[in-house]
Amino acid sequence: MIAGLALVIGVVVGLVLRPTVPGWLEPYLPIAVVAALDAVFGGIRARLDGIFDAKVFVVSFVSNVVVAALIVFLGDKLGVGGQLSTAVVVVLGIRIFGNAAAIRRHVFHA
Amino acid sequence: MTSRRNTMTTALLVDLVTNTADPGYAAAAARRGPEAPRRWFDRPAVALGCGLIGLTLAVAYVHTHRAAPTAAKVHAGLVARVKAANAAGDSLDAQAQRLDAEVARLRARALPGTSIGAELDRTELLAGATPVTGPGLRVQLADPHKPTRSPGDRPGSTPITASEILTDRDVRSVVNELWHDGAEAIAVNDVRLTPTSAIRFAGQAVLVDFAPITSPYTISAIGDSDVLVTSFADSDVASRYHTLASANGIGFSWNQVSKLHLPAMTTSAPRYARPGSTGGSR
Repeated sequence: MIAGLALVIGVVVGLVLRPTVPGWLEPYLPIAVVAALDAVFGGIRARLDGIFDAKVFVVSFVSNVVVAALIVFLGDKLGVGGQLSTAVVVVLGIRIFGNAAAIRRHVFHA
Repeated sequence: MTSRRNTMTTALLVDLVTNTADPGYAAAAARRGPEAPRRWFDRPAVALGCGLIGLTLAVAYVHTHRAAPTAAKVHAGLVARVKAANAAGDSLDAQAQRLDAEVARLRARALPGTSIGAELDRTELLAGATPVTGPGLRVQLADPHKPTRSPGDRPGSTPITASEILTDRDVRSVVNELWHDGAEAIAVNDVRLTPTSAIRFAGQAVLVDFAPITSPYTISAIGDSDVLVTSFADSDVASRYHTLASANGIGFSWNQVSKLHLPAMTTSAPRYARPGSTGGSR
């Protein structure tokens, strides 16, 4: 309940304020989106499993974004930024799919 | 050694696919035990996390959709500038031709019926400075039909496909063949060729004297039309493009025309070349 409300508020704030993304932050935006989706699905799954923990949720989201951005940043410096951001998206994408499948099993028992 | 490494890699991948749950949740649940009391920061933390996630998604959405119109705007601006420059060039060209005609008229009045006037007319005709009419041959070369662009494509993202296979070389070889067959005046897409004309290639456009032309290329040549048609039909160039037309789907056709009208080209007077003695300096 409170989570959904906060999500909506965050979306509305983003749409209303329309903050300009500085240029150096631009490459990390897709990574942040995938990390955010991973945190959401992971949180929902943990909730359905009955082991949800607010601290783990927030910390995992923030650390996911930071670590993913760090990997891509290092990759950019070493000239393999594109490949590393693909790797990050693939790994997080697999996790999103797995979590979505677990949620599906919980919700539909199928 | 290899097999061990293989199993390790496989185990890593299997682990990645099967254990998708964040182990942090399980660890935290085990630490706190079942039926743990609600802590004071649980609700604010969830709210903060969800707010951050919503903000991230919204910012990414806004950013992506703001960037796309900018790219389209830049593209549209460039197109508008090119079109404006083309229009300016065309109007300057028209003005130059009007002034040329006026010069010719005044000159005709100043030198009525003299041999100098007749010789000047003949020279201008040879140089392509006056519009000409006459019988001749019209050759058409066209690129194969382009696959239609899907509406979702962003402007500027159209890939260079194999549909644009005709280049300056093709236009040039047809023009050269027509000169060889006895053409006296040639225009490509209504751009008259002069003794200083160049047919070049820049980007994806064929340039005739800096005027960009696009497919289909219409090459009109004035000359003895019977000779032109028979010589052109016999030439290597014609047979080559016939083969290409059946193999690659390019359009290639020619027809004899009883009356062609070729426009004039504004020529610049030579600045360095001077009339020399007829013997030449060989």
